[in-house]
Amino acid sequence: MPHPVDVEDLRQRLLQAGYLADGGLATALACAVSLQRAILLEGDAGVGKTDAARATAAVFGAQLLRLQCYEGLDLASAAYDWNYGKQLLAIRAAEATRERTPDLYADEFLIKRPLLAALGAPRERGVVLLIDEIDRADDEFEAFLLEFLADFAISIPERGTIAAAHPPIVILTSNRTRDLHDALKRRCFYHWIGHPSVEREIAILRLHLPDVSAALAADVARAAATLRQRDLRKPPGIAESLDWAQTLALLGAERLDLDVFGRSLGAVLKYPEDIATAAASAEGIVRAARAEGAA
Amino acid sequence: MNDPAVVAAGFDAALRARGVSAGTRRAGTFAETLRLLPPRDAEGWYWRARTAMLPSIDDLDAFHAAYLEFFGAIDDADALHRLVRTVNPPPRPQAPKRASLPPPPSERRAAGEDAERAPTQWIAASLEERVRDAAFEDLDDAERAAMLRLIGRVRIAADARPSRRRRVHPHGDRFDFRATLRGAARTAGELVRRRATRRRTRLRPLVFLLDVSGSMAPFARALLQYARVNAIARPRVRTFAFATRLTDLTPLLRRAGDDRLMAAIAETVHDYGGGTRIGAALHAFNDHHAQRGAARGGTVVILSDGWERDDPALVAVEMQRLRRLARRVVWVNPHKRHPAYEPLARGMAAALPYLDAFVSGHNLRTLEAVADAIEGDRR
Repeated sequence: MPHPVDVEDLRQRLLQAGYLADGGLATALACAVSLQRAILLEGDAGVGKTDAARATAAVFGAQLLRLQCYEGLDLASAAYDWNYGKQLLAIRAAEATRERTPDLYADEFLIKRPLLAALGAPRERGVVLLIDEIDRADDEFEAFLLEFLADFAISIPERGTIAAAHPPIVILTSNRTRDLHDALKRRCFYHWIGHPSVEREIAILRLHLPDVSAALAADVARAAATLRQRDLRKPPGIAESLDWAQTLALLGAERLDLDVFGRSLGAVLKYPEDIATAAASAEGIVRAARAEGAA
Repeated sequence: MNDPAVVAAGFDAALRARGVSAGTRRAGTFAETLRLLPPRDAEGWYWRARTAMLPSIDDLDAFHAAYLEFFGAIDDADALHRLVRTVNPPPRPQAPKRASLPPPPSERRAAGEDAERAPTQWIAASLEERVRDAAFEDLDDAERAAMLRLIGRVRIAADARPSRRRRVHPHGDRFDFRATLRGAARTAGELVRRRATRRRTRLRPLVFLLDVSGSMAPFARALLQYARVNAIARPRVRTFAFATRLTDLTPLLRRAGDDRLMAAIAETVHDYGGGTRIGAALHAFNDHHAQRGAARGGTVVILSDGWERDDPALVAVEMQRLRRLARRVVWVNPHKRHPAYEPLARGMAAALPYLDAFVSGHNLRTLEAVADAIEGDRR
């Protein structure tokens, strides 16, 4: 029987685990955990989707099982496989000793991949199953996930259906490189993680990088916010601003100035065209980032 | 109004009225959420509704409209408005969705419909012959109807590549341990029959970008039909129309009737003021679709005469980018059929260095060449 998780309480515990969730994400996660249903997190690259799963695992003291998706991902690497070598040896051994052939599909021959492993989690130590970048997998894999997400069960032809005694917390992430099938989405809670507000980004930077000064963190957050408003190929995510703040600290900068801005752009922008765009208006971006800080 | 099931079902209906199909499964989830985690304030209501009932971030505006309409009566409307304003806006202005399109014009079908049922065979045959070689813009209504029908016979462009998935094959190139062992169970554990797998093939993505501005309209109509035939016959086809901005026709193309399709296109050329913004359209396509994977490893077919209203330098920049994202870029320009044609249009000249194929595609016969160009010669 599902038991409710308080939203505000979960938010506090996520914060203790080093993850600053806003009200929407905390609600979505609380709903998913309470109702034992999967949650689909969508958002641009680098806004903290994977990190949310890591923090959730920490909050519930659960083991994090991660399944990175790619095209052609099949059951043998996602759910289960048979240990063929061992099966063969067992047959030969039985032959040599003239014993009955053992059950070739017993547990000892089954190799559990993340999906199956997630179903076998004991109650005292739960599992957070992270199905990362599901948009990279193909339709066939999505179709397979339908059974898994609806019943938390996997059918193995040789063994029958294996269902979870204690359903895992399932978190799917997508960068939205393609639209997922609605049948899959219907089985999940849905949350879009957007770019954070400047205040929240400062808080995140301070939380993750205690060594970076408050002034520098504020400069970086404001500059990142400005950059996101420019017409860039890849607007920086939180991951990039974290990198950037760290780089600036490493370069010994106290505040953001024109010199370090130019030298550290590679930490935050990953296209030469974007770097050129930012460099062209460097003065304005730096001034805006610092002026608000002084005010 | 306190029963969660009633609230959820009512909100589902409100969403449906706004063109968002959340569905019964989501409504059930929402009701369960409300029962298990009763919301304490307006924000709690909002986020529970959103995480359970919102199908995609693209539907956010319609969702907000339905939310205000449905829950506005329950809660303090001001607080709700404030809340809706502060939440994340949708990431980017998206192309108009199905729901936001104007209702289909209920105009009478073209006279061409009658001509389709030609009285005798020979008339049909001669019509077919004429239609095959005439440029799309020179056809009358009857001929255009025949042409659209005949496009169904043009070869489907199918450019396949080896997939990462495998299937059992008698002459496979990789040993299949599982199948072999399963077979061995039947022969007392002796490995008698070797089973193997071979890679399956998978079609590469195919994207049509059609210039639907004034002079290109007859050709765009034909290529649109070709795109539709492809979209019905094979997976991974996407179609966009552009004039001054870009519209995604993909969701409409397979199912919607001509009326709705034309209404969507009319929307695209709505603010048409002489000339096309090719560079801006390519920029939008690259940013929102190609870079996210729509064109990766695939073929992009662009139909346009290359008359750029804005700076052709942007066309060059975006074509170069597209060239890096897609596997093949094919440009269809009907003017190329004239023997004395030279790419004088500035947009065309800017795009030329980045093309894998440059074809005219102005009539049915040359449409076959478009299929060839899509597949390339590395077959």
